[in-house]
Amino acid sequence: MSKQISAVSPRNMHLTFEPVHFKAQKLKDRPAPHAESGKCMHRGKRIVVTGMGTKNAIGGNVSEFARSLRAGVCGISKIELFDTGEFRTHKGGQVKDFDPRRSIPEEFSLKRMSRADALAMAAALEAVTDAGLYPLPENIKENMGVAIGGGAGGLLEAESFYADLLRKGKGRSKYSRLSSLFCASSADRIASGLELSGPRTTFMTACSAGATALGYARDLILYGHAGMMLAGGVEPMCRLTYAAFNALKSVDEDVCRPFDKSRSGLSLGEASAVLVLEPLESAQNRGAKIYGELMGYGVTCDSFHMTAPDGQASGAARSMRAALADSGLTAEDIDYINAHGTATPINDSTETRAIKEVFGSRAYRIPVSSTKSMHAHTLGASGALEGIVSLLALAKGFVPPTIHWRERDPECDLDYVTEGARRADLRAVLSNSFAFGGNNTTVVFGRYEGQGAVHE
Amino acid sequence: MNKRHDRPDKERVVVTGVGMATPLGTGREEFSRRLFQGESAVDVVQAFDTGGAASHLGAEVRGFEPREWISVKNLRRMDRLSMLTTASARLALSDAGITVKAENRDRVGILFGSAFGATDVTVQFEDALLAQGPGAVNPILVPNTVMNAPAGHASIELGFRGVNVTVTHFAVSAETAVAYAAFEIRRGTADVLLAGGADILSKFYYESLSRFRGLSPDDGGPEGAHPFDVRRNGYVAGEGCGLLCLESLSSARERGAKIYCEITGAGLGSSPAPPTAWPRDSKGFRRTFLRALDQARIEPPGVSAVMAAANGGRVLDAMEADAYEALFASCAGRPWVTSIKGALGESFSGGGIRACALALSVEKGCLPATVGLERPAAPLNFVVGKKVETDLKHTVLSGISFGGTYVCLVFGRCEP
Repeated sequence: MSKQISAVSPRNMHLTFEPVHFKAQKLKDRPAPHAESGKCMHRGKRIVVTGMGTKNAIGGNVSEFARSLRAGVCGISKIELFDTGEFRTHKGGQVKDFDPRRSIPEEFSLKRMSRADALAMAAALEAVTDAGLYPLPENIKENMGVAIGGGAGGLLEAESFYADLLRKGKGRSKYSRLSSLFCASSADRIASGLELSGPRTTFMTACSAGATALGYARDLILYGHAGMMLAGGVEPMCRLTYAAFNALKSVDEDVCRPFDKSRSGLSLGEASAVLVLEPLESAQNRGAKIYGELMGYGVTCDSFHMTAPDGQASGAARSMRAALADSGLTAEDIDYINAHGTATPINDSTETRAIKEVFGSRAYRIPVSSTKSMHAHTLGASGALEGIVSLLALAKGFVPPTIHWRERDPECDLDYVTEGARRADLRAVLSNSFAFGGNNTTVVFGRYEGQGAVHE
Repeated sequence: MNKRHDRPDKERVVVTGVGMATPLGTGREEFSRRLFQGESAVDVVQAFDTGGAASHLGAEVRGFEPREWISVKNLRRMDRLSMLTTASARLALSDAGITVKAENRDRVGILFGSAFGATDVTVQFEDALLAQGPGAVNPILVPNTVMNAPAGHASIELGFRGVNVTVTHFAVSAETAVAYAAFEIRRGTADVLLAGGADILSKFYYESLSRFRGLSPDDGGPEGAHPFDVRRNGYVAGEGCGLLCLESLSSARERGAKIYCEITGAGLGSSPAPPTAWPRDSKGFRRTFLRALDQARIEPPGVSAVMAAANGGRVLDAMEADAYEALFASCAGRPWVTSIKGALGESFSGGGIRACALALSVEKGCLPATVGLERPAAPLNFVVGKKVETDLKHTVLSGISFGGTYVCLVFGRCEP
């Protein structure tokens, strides 16, 4: 057994810190898309987003979501999925009037599907259709995979089962109701439903899971494990989650107020969000529309506390820096930051501090907004949902607002876009997702110009 | 012939440490001794009453003393899953000879897989919530209801702040974590990554498995774990944690670390299957297996041994045996096939423990026997009765999950 106690030496660290595959290349200096000369960021491949689908509190599909984001619509209202009578709070961002059969065609069985599975399946079908890939050709099915950021999975239904079991005893309960309890079920339902043969993975890093799924999906394509990926996240509303955040006293009784002086907690929400990722050349060859490019991502850990962020903001700052490095971009290239912005007192001040640390004086000139003020905090789905927000902002040329903001906090002194959506020509957008367990993920998206670009 | 060496050393991923808390012992020495001796950890479950289930056997982690590995301050906040994981993480780092300190902590991380997470904590939380109401829930349980808790607790106890991700995909959770960790080392986003997975046994979880009719005996016959055997009638549930310590070959060489093996390829794939059912057709698994070999730039005849996923289940074992018969049909000398789930049970994210076992096998040139296998149900070259000593140049860790998801990893002897 070797006993080399010395760790990775600083010299070695210096070596591995050097970007190996990724030549820094600023977005604004990039050659015109039609004149691409193979100068690509990652192993000769650029990964673009060609389809998107979502169900959330302010949008039953992507175009409705885009309209709501621009108009500053609030989707936080009284919870109707379960009785909140005994809870301290009663509001949340629910997907309203969701009828699985209206969103999912007859050929897909809904048997034993949880609400989460159905929300995810509906978003996946919208994304595939939006990408012009439905019905999926056989050669694409073979190499298409699914990566989903999960959350409570089928817990909403399992809670009804378990309440019955506690009341009636074990003999009478149908355990088959647990078959969609675990959140990996959603990726299985999507992949088997669409008859895909590529990789399937589910991430469970709480509030950063959806963002990590996007990054990992890109890597699977870059490393040749998949031709295209459906990547996203899904989170259903359920009693356990609602009780958990209430027990931690981190839920606002009214609506969440990100970056406001009197902010007192988050609003819980539910959503599904799925994106179609594919190599640029594949999208161009099939004449697909292109929302933007997934430039890079970074994943770090606070190693500080299970439920509180490190007040020094080191993990958050390192996450943003890692994503910029992976993208081959610098702080100068980012034109909008889609903040994690949960509206808990500690998150918003810590995130603000981290942004200033990474962006220096430029932090004051970059619009930063939290769309959680509209669609609420959708936990496992949020990174993917806010990925859609970022791509809509790039493609449609606007910065979504932070709503419900009332008063300036001296610790939160950036431009939070509190007066309503803005028109803006954005080159690159950075989206943060920070989670319990100290799991931080940042994803960077870039504008795509050229054949197939979606621009308004 | 072996073209994989045109990869620079920085992009070659090697295993330099193993850490585990398993039914066959905690830490490399005990685990390795009992595994290669052919010991079985399958026994009547002691931790809880199995009266509510049709089965009574399990492979439990016994005699695990968390205070040996975890500080009292952090231990207070941990559940059993996090304890097994944190202890394994400490053991893997120490086996690799790595100390986490200020200079390297941002480049050390963990890729953790769990199939079902802390089922004990979730049930405890729901019991309070549904029987007594939201006021009765204990806030200290909250983070442990989420599957990323073990990786978070391990990072706090051991101080590493690099890449930290938790994946869950049923019976391939840990294999997926190892595959992802290998990409991250190749990409250069971390210098050292722990990778593997853990699951635990709990009363409600055991009863639920029993109701899904996968546990032995699914037909009322004698209960037992018999992978690939004609007598097999379901799996025995297990638990435990296994983590590899991965780094690049250049980093391992630079610090003169012992190298167990190299991860030379990974294949990830799936095939449509009914939810929670094991796939019957081996086509999807074979395709994934070949993808992994392709990445490692070898062909089926180059495979020396396979660490199989077979757990004693009727459908899974038949499908997997069928796949190997087809894959190795044209090979002159068929590769060795072994499954350690006869000794350790099926813990779903047991891919972490199996990866540790395979790394030890490659390093020793020795394969553990398939405990519980006496009358093979297929004409394959099984390791039966006792361990075999043999040269292991290229080996495959097969991961197969119900629902139709597959992850195969190629572990090879690390050659210059």
